[in-house]
Amino acid sequence: MSKTPLQNAPFLSLNNIHKHFGGVRALRGVDLTIEQGKAYHLLGENGCGKSTVIKIMSGAHDPTEGVINLDGERLNRLTPMSALEAGIETVYQDLSLLPNLTVAENVALGEQLVAGKGRLLRLLNKQKIKQTAIDALQKVGLEADESLLGQVIADLPLAVRQRVAIARAIAAEARLVIMDEPTTSLTRHEVEVLIEVVGRLLDNNVAVLFVTHKLEESYRIGGDAIVFRDGLCVAQGALENYTRLQLAELMTGRSIEAVRYRTGKPKGTVLLEATELGSGHGFHNISFNIQHGEIVGVTGLSDSGRNELAMALAGHVPIQQGVLTLEGEDVRISSPEDAIKYGIGYVPEDRLSEGLFIEKSIYENEIPLILDRISGSFGLLDDKKGRAAAGEISAEMKLNTTNLDLPVSALSGGNQQRVLIGRWLSINPRLLILHGPTVGVDVGSKETIFHAIQEMAERGIGLLIISDDLPELLQNCDRILVMHSGCIVENFNAEEVSDDRIYKSMLASSLEVSE
Amino acid sequence: MVVYKMTDKTMDNQSDFSPHLKRKRRFLLFQGRPETVSLLLLIVIFAGVSFINPSFLQISSLVDIARASVVTGLFALGVFTVLAAGGIDISFPAIAALAMYGVSTFVLDVFPEMPIALIVFSSVLIGLILGSVNGVLVHGLRVPALIVTIGTQYFYRGILLVFVGTVWLMEMPSQMTDFGKWSLLDIESNNGVTVSLPVYFLVLPIAAFTTWFIFNRTLMGRAIFAVGGNAGVAERLGYDLRKVRVFAFGYAGGLAGLAGIIQASANRMANPFDFAGTEIGVIAAVVLGGARITGGTGSVIGTILGVLLVTVVNNVLVLVGIPSTWQRVVVGAFILLAAAFFVLRDRKSAR
Repeated sequence: MSKTPLQNAPFLSLNNIHKHFGGVRALRGVDLTIEQGKAYHLLGENGCGKSTVIKIMSGAHDPTEGVINLDGERLNRLTPMSALEAGIETVYQDLSLLPNLTVAENVALGEQLVAGKGRLLRLLNKQKIKQTAIDALQKVGLEADESLLGQVIADLPLAVRQRVAIARAIAAEARLVIMDEPTTSLTRHEVEVLIEVVGRLLDNNVAVLFVTHKLEESYRIGGDAIVFRDGLCVAQGALENYTRLQLAELMTGRSIEAVRYRTGKPKGTVLLEATELGSGHGFHNISFNIQHGEIVGVTGLSDSGRNELAMALAGHVPIQQGVLTLEGEDVRISSPEDAIKYGIGYVPEDRLSEGLFIEKSIYENEIPLILDRISGSFGLLDDKKGRAAAGEISAEMKLNTTNLDLPVSALSGGNQQRVLIGRWLSINPRLLILHGPTVGVDVGSKETIFHAIQEMAERGIGLLIISDDLPELLQNCDRILVMHSGCIVENFNAEEVSDDRIYKSMLASSLEVSE
Repeated sequence: MVVYKMTDKTMDNQSDFSPHLKRKRRFLLFQGRPETVSLLLLIVIFAGVSFINPSFLQISSLVDIARASVVTGLFALGVFTVLAAGGIDISFPAIAALAMYGVSTFVLDVFPEMPIALIVFSSVLIGLILGSVNGVLVHGLRVPALIVTIGTQYFYRGILLVFVGTVWLMEMPSQMTDFGKWSLLDIESNNGVTVSLPVYFLVLPIAAFTTWFIFNRTLMGRAIFAVGGNAGVAERLGYDLRKVRVFAFGYAGGLAGLAGIIQASANRMANPFDFAGTEIGVIAAVVLGGARITGGTGSVIGTILGVLLVTVVNNVLVLVGIPSTWQRVVVGAFILLAAAFFVLRDRKSAR
């Protein structure tokens, strides 16, 4: 078979790509095409398969099924080396720079590595490294003087590191540069610089694929939109042919009217009142309240400050400004212990590493907060009392097993989550913060978790749900707060809002919002 | 130029950073070269000892220190290489003992005529193979290097005792003792005793230069730092982790074999229990030389400074009346001091 590229073949195309992880079908037949010198924007909600598809393009994952056409050659998979050789370079969010090496080495060592075909016992061509680094750095607009070339990456600000990472891709003669949410932690000025750098790449006939949430920037760069939803590519076409609303609809794909549990629920008295809370750079000027028996949702992009807010209320992140009152009483929360004392529970997003003792039994996972209540004589643990209490929790949370000695790792995601929620219910919390309560939980289990949430609200517990899953928030919440750049930018009544509307305000640049 | 205009804010507004820069500059001496701490300590000790005991200041003392630092120095260069690659090796004393004792026994029992060059080469080769086994295990099992080398340390020492021998060799092959005595230059000290700098001392600067060359002039050296800096990223960028690890451990093993045979030649005896317990001292020397235990940093010059510091403490403090039992206290204090300093420095640069 000849290795010369076919004249009309596109640089890279994926045909009917499937990817399964165990039982989870991350990609279900994706088709997309990349041509050199064009910009692409991979859009979609979290968990739609975006990151899986870029890992397939960069050779980090093998597709379960499907064909990759590279320069007209049909391949079943790419390896990291073959992707690099073909000129596919990925700038991950972590930038993949070697922190202890210099700028010049980070930019130019790859070239030496490829030149030696992976052989390591060869002399370095220091002159070549320097020249390659200077050329590539100039293309990303960095003045490549001696002091920059010799700087160690760990000493550089993030925006400069990012350009070093792009320069490395250029030095490797990239034909496609994939950038995974490149602007997430950049200031507005730095974004401008990045957009200009991207323009230069395009001028040099390099294709650029952005994985991004920020439609604003995508429209400015132009090119093709590639929209993903539930593991499928649902649209590819010139960005200017789509309105923002159309894109949001394509991404969410729903006009499903799921049951809204909260219609017409009576409101109680104010439980928690936050006034101008602030913490370092996580969030600022946060004012809102939660009533007894009310369910408030918080959403926003991952850098919007919503995670920090949730963790601050639970005592994991210090609150530096503002006043927090609980049933009218001023409270200061500086540790998780304080939060528990005030009856504030926190169910973390990553229940496996932050919430559960995963190898331990259901029993041991349900009782840690009520040890004082179940201790018997001499302060020793009373196993009988403990088991009785744990049995109650299991029953209340409708676990699918009454066996208390089963390790939590043997349970499904939904049951694990219920063990965790049950643990908090055991202390009769006043406020429960649920962070991504249904992440990685199957549809059936979602329902039971929703029921548990509603039951808690009925008992008068205030709930704060932090989630990306807009339908879930619409179904469960009375109100939905949208955060952006550390501030609450919208306070929607869940009955009167659509997920498109919320999505739009999540993405809204700070220009449109309150400036 | 356009290029200029585009450089971003952080680069343009240097003035924003000037207060930081000024504060940083004071630490610059230490920031670039952490081993400066060891150099300063070394100078202070030298000055102090010479002041209290002026007879210390003569060539013969330096020769003593040079001779005493050869074996530790070779070990340290190996440990530095492994540390830089993100690993750790505590099996090198066992490797040195097995290589040294095995080759000596072979020469005595089987091949008494074996030329010294071949003896040294065999010992290095045995070390290289045993070290490579470490590397293969660390990479293949994905087990922390500490655990692997604790295991192989017992294993190698056990093989030596079970299969090679347990007796103390007092009669060494003559070509080895000759090599140990072969003098580069003889110096008569003030009290009339002749001190000689042996030829084998040259092995240390040669090994140091070779190591420096590998680290600074070959792709392998950069690859070692890359893997030690962040193995996941290095793998993503196409570095072959297996090659790097096998090389680093193999190189350390080879140096250990070399150190072993030199020790046996110089001391004119070989004990299968030799070197036991030296590993911590060597690792201490390397860390004092500025290499981080977490990998990816350090330098050859720093390593040599660390070795000199430890050697000087062990050999010189006696001259000013500090009892040998106190040497451990001093070495321990230095390590804590250096560690505190590095942490302080990292916090500064993290700002």
